[in-house]
Amino acid sequence: MPVVQVARDDQYVLNHTTRFLARDTGEVSEPFHLPVVDTHWDGTSAETSYRFNDVTFVHRDDQAGEVGVVGTFGDLHTPVPLRRVRFLDEPTGLWALTVRVGKGQVHRYRFTVDGRSVLDPVNPQRLRSDNGQEWSRFFTHGCAVPISFDRWELRLLERLVTQVLPFQLAENRRFLADFYHGLSRAERDRRFPLAFLMDESVGVVNFIDKLVAREERHNLDDYKTCLLLIDGVLRARFPGREPAELGRQAFMDLYDELAANNVPGWDTGRYGEPRHFLVLLRRHAMTGAFAHPKHGGNQGAAAWAYLAERFAFDWRAAIEAPLGRNTDYRG
Amino acid sequence: MADEAFDAVIIGSGAGGAPVAHALVRAGKRVLVLEKGPLFHAQHTSADGLSDFKRDEEFATGAEKVLRVQGVANTGVSFYSSHVEPDLNDEPHVYRDSDGRDKATIEGYTAQVVGGGTQLYGGVSLRFAPDDFRLRTVNRDRDDLRADPNGDVAREARDWPFGYDDLEPWYCRAEELIGINGTRDGQLKPASVDNYQQPLAPNSISAHVAAGMDALGYRRYRTPLAVITEDHAPSGRTVPADRESIKTAFVNRYGDPLGWKSNTWVSLLHPVSAEPGFSLRANCSVTHLSATGPRVTAVHYRDPLGRERTVSGTVVVVACSAIESVRLLQLSAERDAAFADRINGNDLLGRYFLTHCFGGASARVPGRHDKSRTLDSDWATDACAAPEFVRANNLWAGGAIYNNTSDSALPISMARTWAANDMDTMWKGYLYDLDMRGDGFDGYLTENFGRQLSVAFMANQVPLPTNRITLHPAVRDKWNRPVANIDKGWHGHDRAVMDVLAEQCRRILAAGGDGVQVIGHGHVGNDVRRIANHVLGGARFGTDPDDSVLDPDCRAWRFDNLYVTDGSFMPTSGGANPTLTIQANAFRVGDLLTTRV
Ligand SMILES: Cc1cc2nc3c(=O)[nH]c(=O)nc-3n(C[C@H](O)[C@H](O)[C@H](O)COP(=O)(O)OP(=O)(O)OC[C@H]3O[C@@H](n4cnc5c(N)ncnc54)[C@H](O)[C@@H]3O)c2cc1C
Repeated sequence: MPVVQVARDDQYVLNHTTRFLARDTGEVSEPFHLPVVDTHWDGTSAETSYRFNDVTFVHRDDQAGEVGVVGTFGDLHTPVPLRRVRFLDEPTGLWALTVRVGKGQVHRYRFTVDGRSVLDPVNPQRLRSDNGQEWSRFFTHGCAVPISFDRWELRLLERLVTQVLPFQLAENRRFLADFYHGLSRAERDRRFPLAFLMDESVGVVNFIDKLVAREERHNLDDYKTCLLLIDGVLRARFPGREPAELGRQAFMDLYDELAANNVPGWDTGRYGEPRHFLVLLRRHAMTGAFAHPKHGGNQGAAAWAYLAERFAFDWRAAIEAPLGRNTDYRG
Repeated sequence: MADEAFDAVIIGSGAGGAPVAHALVRAGKRVLVLEKGPLFHAQHTSADGLSDFKRDEEFATGAEKVLRVQGVANTGVSFYSSHVEPDLNDEPHVYRDSDGRDKATIEGYTAQVVGGGTQLYGGVSLRFAPDDFRLRTVNRDRDDLRADPNGDVAREARDWPFGYDDLEPWYCRAEELIGINGTRDGQLKPASVDNYQQPLAPNSISAHVAAGMDALGYRRYRTPLAVITEDHAPSGRTVPADRESIKTAFVNRYGDPLGWKSNTWVSLLHPVSAEPGFSLRANCSVTHLSATGPRVTAVHYRDPLGRERTVSGTVVVVACSAIESVRLLQLSAERDAAFADRINGNDLLGRYFLTHCFGGASARVPGRHDKSRTLDSDWATDACAAPEFVRANNLWAGGAIYNNTSDSALPISMARTWAANDMDTMWKGYLYDLDMRGDGFDGYLTENFGRQLSVAFMANQVPLPTNRITLHPAVRDKWNRPVANIDKGWHGHDRAVMDVLAEQCRRILAAGGDGVQVIGHGHVGNDVRRIANHVLGGARFGTDPDDSVLDPDCRAWRFDNLYVTDGSFMPTSGGANPTLTIQANAFRVGDLLTTRV
């Protein structure tokens, strides 16, 4: 796959990295910003630009003579060289490269420093390939490939999320049925270029899957632990049944118990405050439903369309085409 | 010796720094602007045609972060900052809460980016009222003030070194160069030139506020907003054919990707960026100044990768926003007793830190409105800044009242500010309202989405020497330097001012038409932490060297070449949002400096 490089200047690289890196004490802050995943603009058309992101790799090494990157976004065996980033015409010790990558993708990569292969020391996202080698990882906007959760976790999460969101109401289900599912495939693609799979929770679970992989990694353990506990609680209550396939009432009861911070059968030794998990889930559900679809939820802007249908909310006026109809703003 | 020399080194590129830079570059001077934050572009200023600001609710208040700062009582709490606010773990501000415990807060930050707070601001660009400049004089013989048994107000009120009429031409200059839309008629603030652009049609929800103000006999005008609605020749910016598309609700707390919001980068710095005398270094934090006698001889900064560098300027202008400017001067003083003696010989540096008395009222309106089509405010009134109103209510000073239109306009912001109005309590109301789910959630949307309307006031805070910025004895930033420590409380009279003005806001909404249901009114008088993004004072100017830090030209009294032009120069905080006044004053100082370098 040929790598398409994009010209982003040194100022851009400094703007998006040094605040997190430069310091005398403490660790790199907000390491989730790296590599930088940003909008792509091909200089002419919103439609053709929209399928891509610009991904900027940055590596700091004062001593290196050559830095490159290999990864699944390009040819795995041929490093693409990073350039030296300069400030006041002097080398900064930073190296950078911007490439064009399709939206909705997950990739692994490693840096090569003077021929040595190294992980990205800043980016905490890691991935083990089939042969056991460790790689750094990134994903682009609107990514729907599961990263943080297994299939059973995703299904259970789906059921939990529909307890805190409006989309499971009969009236709203009707909206999805009448509005989105009623569109022809071509029309769906035209109006919702990022939509791929519409579900009751408008992609919130996918949003959470991405959020705890990157910005809120610190909350991943909460999910892992609580999903396991919930699975156990429901299996004990409904022997022989798959938790994710239980009826609605089972989840409504569970919600009430989480809210009361008292879930019979819950191992508080493993997770002290079940309510804490519910609060976390509530924030993520609300954000995932209504945030820009590039974050992985609000698929095809379905939640905004829902607000527009039911209330008054002309979201398309402000949002970039082709998702919205604004052609001045490029996203 | 410094590595390089300039005519002027300006530290900070926001409201207080950029006008000085603009004036000096236009006069042919060699100017270096050092800015701690990144240079985030608007589409039209960027080489690749893309902006670093997005219409994305996650940019205003992003993912959860956890406070890990040791030695404060709120270690472990969640916080949600914007993409241009610092990581609090790197650079906290610490305040002393009313329970006596130290806590870190994000309230005292504006924004760290080229343009400073003007990148995120709502753009409400009111002038101060004439009496705001002479509060000592107008209160000298008063014994009727509420909740002021010891005469603190008369003792602590200060006049500015000049009056409204002296600043008036500079207000005109600022309004022209920055690019502001609004209307004059109905204002209590006389203008010699009307440089406003035409406002866009108000959001339909604001009709209730217009009706309420009319019912009370309060003269109203379209709130002056720093957003261009017409092509703006001084900055070379143009507006789209469909001007209504300028209204997006991504205003307050959002940088504008299209550069229509008149932040100081697009309005003042970018237009001079091709001039030979202009240099801007973004991502560069100034750590301290050093001096030889009365001359600042070196500005020490960390370059984008943290390496130490120095520059010198014939003049040095500090404009880091009040808390950080005071801290920078205190950090410089900490390293050098002679510097300390010059900048703080009278023990006033950091004292008289100010913010605003603020608060308001909110209501639910009967109809539903598309609040996504709006700027930050539609209507304002000066009725409560009028001397008659102030006297009749036994207050020392009045304030401005205006409606907010962009609050709760977007779905996530409505949730995260539900029963939480400040940066530190973000999300707390909505998340713990655990009944809000299923039908309850649907009911919440039906009842509130597109139906919330609020009116706010902004008024002077009584200056007190105990409201003070110091260096924290224990907590340090990522450069291992002491962080700013904020001691701030409200005077009893402040609460009286806020009670009266919050009540006026309530009355406006209550008179706003059939079916308007007032859901609350109040103010920040019981919360020492609230700052409203308005950080002012701490290095006040005046005519008496024993009573002020800066002289009337905003020069440090005992230095030849050290100036401070951000909000910290203010001896009183004014009865309106501060930024236009910071800018007007900075244009005044900038003009002065053209003859001094
Ligand atoms: C969300 C929000 C809404 C607001 N709405 C309004 C409004 O509607 N109307 C209004 O009048 N005001 C509003 N404000 C307030 C307004 O932003 C400030 O009053 C104004 O920006 C203050 O100007 P300043 O020059 O004091 O500081 P700033 O404009 O903040 O500029 C200070 C600059 O100095 C930089 N800096 C700090 N330390 C250093 C250092 N050590 N070295 C180098 N650079 C440094 C900072 O990064 C920053 O860019 C709002 C603020 C916010 C955050």
